[in-house]
Amino acid sequence: MKISYKATTQILIALIVISIICILINNLTVNLIKTGLGFSFGWLFRPASFALAEHPLPYSPSDSYAWALFIGWLNSLKVIFYSLLLATLIGTCVGLFRVGKNVLLRLVSAGYIAIIRQTPLLLQLMFWYFVAILGIKGTIASPIGSVLSISNQGINLLGIKLSAEFTSLLLGLSVFTSAYIAEVVRGGINSVDKGQWESFRSLGLKDSTGLYKIIIPQALPAILPGLTSQYLNLAKNSTLAIAVGYSDIYAINDTIINQTGRPIEGFIILLLSFLFLNLIISNGMEYLNTAIIRSSNPY
Amino acid sequence: MKNRYKPIKYIKRVAFSNKLDSIISLTIISFGLVFLISLVKWVIFSANWNVVRLNLPLFFFGSFPNDQLWRPGLWISLFAILSFTTLWGPPWSWLRKNLPLLWVSFAPIGVFLLAGGCGLSPVESRNWGGLTLTILLTSCSAIISLPLGIALALGRQSALPVVKKLSSIYIDTMRSVPLIAVLFFGQLLIPLFLPVGLEINRVCRAIIAFTLFVSAYIAEDVRGGLQSIPRTQQEAGEVLGLHPFQITYLIILPQALRIALPSLTNQAVGLLQNTSLMAILGLVELLGIGRSILANPEFIGRYIEVYIWLAAIYWVICTVMALIARHLEQQMSLEKKDL
Repeated sequence: MKISYKATTQILIALIVISIICILINNLTVNLIKTGLGFSFGWLFRPASFALAEHPLPYSPSDSYAWALFIGWLNSLKVIFYSLLLATLIGTCVGLFRVGKNVLLRLVSAGYIAIIRQTPLLLQLMFWYFVAILGIKGTIASPIGSVLSISNQGINLLGIKLSAEFTSLLLGLSVFTSAYIAEVVRGGINSVDKGQWESFRSLGLKDSTGLYKIIIPQALPAILPGLTSQYLNLAKNSTLAIAVGYSDIYAINDTIINQTGRPIEGFIILLLSFLFLNLIISNGMEYLNTAIIRSSNPY
Repeated sequence: MKNRYKPIKYIKRVAFSNKLDSIISLTIISFGLVFLISLVKWVIFSANWNVVRLNLPLFFFGSFPNDQLWRPGLWISLFAILSFTTLWGPPWSWLRKNLPLLWVSFAPIGVFLLAGGCGLSPVESRNWGGLTLTILLTSCSAIISLPLGIALALGRQSALPVVKKLSSIYIDTMRSVPLIAVLFFGQLLIPLFLPVGLEINRVCRAIIAFTLFVSAYIAEDVRGGLQSIPRTQQEAGEVLGLHPFQITYLIILPQALRIALPSLTNQAVGLLQNTSLMAILGLVELLGIGRSILANPEFIGRYIEVYIWLAAIYWVICTVMALIARHLEQQMSLEKKDL
């Protein structure tokens, strides 16, 4: 009797879900027929006929939409990768300052976290782009001219040119994510027992050595899961690139949808590329996680 | 005599314990001073705050009809009063008990005040904007996605494989997609999925999209709360002869929600910040109105003033919400101690 009750409920729920999906698909087909668009991916191989300011691989407007999407995907990957590194660097420093001995450093980093976390990322990105980068008048060069120069065209670092759009997106994403990473790092370090600090101090180790050799290895298992979710957030947030005019996967998809008038297909492509991106990041972090746990616990 | 030296000793210990420490502290102090002085100078002398002063009604109420401004004004004041009452913790127990109810009714009151009807003259949704629209998007999405999220969390914990699988698929897919894609779906694709002739306005579609997205995140927060309830609670309910539904609604869920409350409030802060994404998709909420004011030739190039003003508004609201979260957390840990 009990089993049949469970089975009926499940069948009923499955039927409801399936019928809702059927109704939606039916509406969609009716609407697509009405607009005369239909559903196909054939347009992917037609020439894109729009220019891209940034492309890591050769690209010209006569290349196909598919190739333009791939370039956008690479652009996304590029900005995610570098922001990830920079955010981890800044976040770790701020997180360590936050638990450090110096009260002033603690205050400054607490203020940094409070300001960054309580304002929207999109606003910060616009600030970086329109105020911090495009607002630069003339060129600011470092004393040794060729190493670093900053102008409203972007940054020139050791001969590598970074566009204004890439720079502002990189800085905005890194600064925003670093505030969250700092909290993750702080939580991880606070999760290590206070006795560990006392014992390495009584062994005569310096604070910096003890932090590096004793505390951080024990804090890592607590830090890594939080770090992974921050990296995934960063990847998702990188789609705000469209606000500063950087051609990432979402921005290019948006252009293509406007050109071809095929929102459904474009949306499906967007979803697939993000599932793939998420898989890369979570698998990479999983690999890192097992590697670190193995190295910190050899027995 | 002893006491007079204590502060100096304290300062020495916390900021000047060795050479490196002193250098760092001095650098921070000098940079901080220079920064503060130039900031004050800029705010008072260089900045041109006309762009904010002349557009204050736009920032707060969008292009709401001038003779009806009291409606969004009343609603925003209600928001401020509710927030501060929650933070302050009123001494009267009847008010304390009814605070959650007041928060729940806050969104419907807002819809009624903005849209009109029942004695108020109707105002179309394209005239809504500014901070009012930001708070409307946040409160409506929050109030709808909370029950949905709870249902999804319960679904994911369910013993029925079909329910469990469906909820998991929904939650995991939503959490792997960027919000802007979901909002884009809301603006461009929802009309395609509706029967011919049925139309929903842009604000409604935005709220639907936010709800779809946020409920997946709420579900995970609630699941965290559910998992931290010991199994003995379930067994105790079974021993008392309660129906499984009664066990869930009377025993498990109240405790789980209580545990999840701080992270749910953080979700609300995130939601408020994320409503700014609608600026890209063509709604004139707080950031959107800032963008359209900056596009006005009269105020061209006044980026810093507008952005700092917007950041200040967002910061104040989000900080108040974060304070409420911390307040609730403390209150709950106190109540736990009492037990």
